[in-house]
Amino acid sequence: MARIVVVTSGKGGVGKTTTSAAFASGLALRGHRTVVIDFDVGLRNLDLVLGCERRVVYDVVNVIHGEARLQQALIRDKHCENLYVLPTSQTRDKDALTQEGVAAIMEELKQDFDYIVCDSPAGIERGALMALYHADEAIVVTNPEVSSVRDSDRILGIIAARSRRAEAGQEPVKEHLLLTRYAPKRVQGGEMLSIDDVQELLRIPLLGVIPESESVLQASNQGIPAIHMKGTDVAAAYEDVVARFLGEDRPLRFTQPEKTGFFKRLFGG
Amino acid sequence: MAKPKDSPPRHEAAASAPETRPGALRLSGGVFTLSVLTLESPDAQQLATRLQEERQRNPAAAALLKNAPVVLDLSAIPAEAPLALEEILAVLRGAQLLPVGLRNAAPEQQQLAGEYHLPILRGQERPAGPAAPASVVQQRGTLLIEHPIRSGQRVYARGGDLICLGVVNAGAEILADGHIHVYAPLRGRALAGVAGDETARIFCSALEAELVSIAGLYRMPERNLEQWGQASQIFTTNEQLHIAPLGGRHT
Ligand SMILES: Nc1ncnc2c1ncn2[C@@H]1O[C@H](COP(=O)(O)OP(=O)(O)OP(=O)(O)O)[C@@H](O)[C@H]1O
Ligand SMILES: [Mg+2]
Repeated sequence: MARIVVVTSGKGGVGKTTTSAAFASGLALRGHRTVVIDFDVGLRNLDLVLGCERRVVYDVVNVIHGEARLQQALIRDKHCENLYVLPTSQTRDKDALTQEGVAAIMEELKQDFDYIVCDSPAGIERGALMALYHADEAIVVTNPEVSSVRDSDRILGIIAARSRRAEAGQEPVKEHLLLTRYAPKRVQGGEMLSIDDVQELLRIPLLGVIPESESVLQASNQGIPAIHMKGTDVAAAYEDVVARFLGEDRPLRFTQPEKTGFFKRLFGG
Repeated sequence: MAKPKDSPPRHEAAASAPETRPGALRLSGGVFTLSVLTLESPDAQQLATRLQEERQRNPAAAALLKNAPVVLDLSAIPAEAPLALEEILAVLRGAQLLPVGLRNAAPEQQQLAGEYHLPILRGQERPAGPAAPASVVQQRGTLLIEHPIRSGQRVYARGGDLICLGVVNAGAEILADGHIHVYAPLRGRALAGVAGDETARIFCSALEAELVSIAGLYRMPERNLEQWGQASQIFTTNEQLHIAPLGGRHT
């Protein structure tokens, strides 16, 4: 039986899709059968980040409306064999997702997979509610700034009140904080909130910290999830996140400003 | 005391049209929260002075009330006192408040109100609970919340005390007819004694609230406040709101 993990944030553009692709890939790399679903109807970014946009024939909306079977819509990832993508529609709007339709898809996927990762749209409306409703765990993606923290707080409240687990009075959704686009230098300069500041405000366990890095943009332009960018801080940080999620102990990395070497300082290299 | 209060929600009578013809008027019901200004004296000049004082004392609160619709409560004005209603309305409008009705008006005063086309509103004597549905509402007794109360959430302990073991974050609102205890930082809005109990208090282990209110008296604490971030209690004496250290001499 699969565990359902929603990647959510409230605020837009904080790194949900980047994280969904990297995290789902990381689980698959470790041998878990994983499917990642794009709930951002109308925008369709996940397939781009995973580099499978040209292979999209049917999408989740087609499945819900009975125009295609689930198996027809699932796309196998070209980087890892254990990963499948359920893309979304670019032409429909958020109302194309129905509560019953999503529930039926979840039921079916649960039989076949170990993990179902749901990439949520921004906001706290219908699309975001659909994405979080079935979750067993939530990765709350937050940037180290006040508005992002406030929106994460909001979405945590919604998860606590309106998820299926909350409605059924079951054990609450397990919450994880993922700080992304963390720039240690700017934190030190007081321009951004620190890890401690964010934790003090949100008070949920920290799953990891992803540094701000240009490799993310390079990765998404090439359609390669950031976790595959060998040798980069971002890939290593996402690997740590997956390891911690699976119960391993990993110390935090990339949270201190880089020490500039003597020569670098001297010649401004 | 000219003090703004949360007023009871008002239920407008809903007239359901038996048929909807295109172009026909549609009347529907609505529930509104209005601020209530209790008039201390029938004299307009005195009101102007009090409003001015209030504005200087708490500019943030005054800004909040800018262009707010207000209901004038006349319960403190004797029926036979000559009420300078026209001047009073002018003073209110001059202070950027929008008078929309009267409450607790004697028959003579009601007649006067009619001349100025001001409706007489009937509300409960005391402000009742929140107009919007609360996330958690308890009917009586003490309400204990163990999880954090987050932005956008609202918890109301009707008819009793509220105890919060987790943080109350900015953007959250907690209300109780009785006392409020927060054994964690209080960063949102906390309103105790919302049904009018002036003996209600707020206790918190770190005061960082956006607003604290007891029986309608409120304050928006700022970072430069001595008690900011400290364990505090908030209470009233003689219509004054006090913010004091917890365990201090004020107890
Ligand atoms: N760690 C990072 N370092 C630098 N840039 C990043 C990082 N993470 C994400 N980005 C960039 O931020 C932008 C938004 O990322 P992404 O699309 O993953 O966010 P999102 O939360 O899914 O957005 P939306 O709310 O629109 O769905 C992208 O341009 C992405 O390349
Ligand atoms: Mg996205």
